[in-house]
Amino acid sequence: MTGDEFPALGWGIGLRRPHYAEILFQRPAMDWFEITTENFMAEGGRPLEVLEGVRANYPIVMHGVSLSIGSADPLNRGYLCDLAALTRRYEPAWVSDHLCWTGVGGKNLHDLLPLPYTEETVRHCAGRIRQVQEVLGRRILIENISSYMRYRASRMEEAEFVAAVAEEADCGILLDINNVYVNSFNHNFNSKGYLDALPAKRIVQFHLAGHRDCGTYLLDTHDQPISNEVWDLYDYAVQRFGRCPTLIEWDDRIPSFSELAAVAVKARERAIGISEYQSVEHTSGTHTERRHDDRLAGPAAK
Amino acid sequence: MNPDAAPELAELQALLYRLIVAPNGVADALANDGDATNLESIIIGDSRMSAAARAEIYSGAYFYRLLDALKEDFPATLAVMGGDEFHNLITGYLIAYPPTEPSLLYAGRYLADYFDQSPMLTRWPYIADLARLERALIESFHAADFMTLDRAAVEAIAPHDWPSLKLRFHPATHFLDAQWRVDEIVRAVAQDSEPPQALALPVRIIVWRKDAQVFYRTVEAVEAVALALIAQGSEFEAICETIGAGVIDENAIPQLINRLLVRWLDDGIFLNQSAA
Repeated sequence: MTGDEFPALGWGIGLRRPHYAEILFQRPAMDWFEITTENFMAEGGRPLEVLEGVRANYPIVMHGVSLSIGSADPLNRGYLCDLAALTRRYEPAWVSDHLCWTGVGGKNLHDLLPLPYTEETVRHCAGRIRQVQEVLGRRILIENISSYMRYRASRMEEAEFVAAVAEEADCGILLDINNVYVNSFNHNFNSKGYLDALPAKRIVQFHLAGHRDCGTYLLDTHDQPISNEVWDLYDYAVQRFGRCPTLIEWDDRIPSFSELAAVAVKARERAIGISEYQSVEHTSGTHTERRHDDRLAGPAAK
Repeated sequence: MNPDAAPELAELQALLYRLIVAPNGVADALANDGDATNLESIIIGDSRMSAAARAEIYSGAYFYRLLDALKEDFPATLAVMGGDEFHNLITGYLIAYPPTEPSLLYAGRYLADYFDQSPMLTRWPYIADLARLERALIESFHAADFMTLDRAAVEAIAPHDWPSLKLRFHPATHFLDAQWRVDEIVRAVAQDSEPPQALALPVRIIVWRKDAQVFYRTVEAVEAVALALIAQGSEFEAICETIGAGVIDENAIPQLINRLLVRWLDDGIFLNQSAA
């Protein structure tokens, strides 16, 4: 994936309502913001006014939750038109959504549900992603989801499935590190092995978030600090995929802007530390893939 | 269903949808399932969690995500009913009106309609009016952005164009006819006060947006007549004549019309048609 198509944005946070005023009026330092696309799919009013103001000063990316790329229903053309219109208007660095299904039979569950990992589902999803990319006139990213169930019908591992869909659709991957960790616990697999199975050339962005330990399973809540295990896995992801643009996701019990910004700084410092360590290793003869080492550009306003 | 999708995928998703939205949870739905679905043959369970327990996580998430969204959209309705009754209400509502839109913004669009058919009206006869007002506030908040008609735009209208002038409401302007003073309940709850006893008094309420903020108030009788005529597409001259017919002092008519017009323009309830 080229740097022109997916620019090196740096470290960002999600654009959330409690921070609107601070972002608009104080313009705090932040490389970029990720918006939840559906929150801005209104016809007008305050949300779009806010987005206009944010976009004037920061790069944004659009992250959707309702594309339902794996649904058995036809693609929602109305939703796609709205997505295309929003994309044209706000010129995000890229557009992403999840590799999942969110509803069927014209009904919406407002949740991200896993798919059976089969060749048929790979073809089904990849074909639909290609349609979306055609409508938007650009490649999109698909994100690996957190999940609590797997199907007996699956014929491959999740990482293999994500990789196969991305290859066949010719799209990028938004790698959610927390989701990998959550799933590795919920479904008993090795999280680093999962990352090893992904094609480095497809990884464009990372997500970092917190989860809750519910005893028998981990719940992806986005309302907690990032766990040490997820930070460690982030280190491993940076080693393997380079300094991809990284987003701190926090959706509930949202901390102050400065606290979230500090988490983004922490991610930056860890990633740079890993890269510098790798550089030393590289000069001493140990080769490690470092694709995204140029991804340290400052904010680029619209 | 999409004819291109593998039938197995469509069947799997239809089954899971049915289990996840079942009001009493997955286990209950399976127990009452005429097909005696063996979920363990579909979802991989293990010693930590059965297949049903895993599906149950999605069932809980579905309900509570929507419940939380609707609590946020209908704070006054929630305050009046209390958490337990609101919970029960939403359980029934989601069966009657399951979400179909990609955005949660639309999840509560039919709550007032649901109240219209609900026995809860016996206990809270004003609850449908209240939900309708709260929904109108959301619709106004997210309505399309068009320029409003302001004083400067009106002053530019040539005198000979005034009689045939047809005003149009901005998309963020909404009206509702309520049988109760539910606006007082919404106002009290917004100020973190206890919801007052609803007063049975038929009122017309106008909701509008100005500077990205949503406002509401009851309209006075003569104003209601004028606004109704505007909504019907009447010309300005006809509106003035209708209003004037109800005023005893002929000299007071221009002042009355001017007062209404200035208020409407300052609130920004009309669409600037030349800029739209």
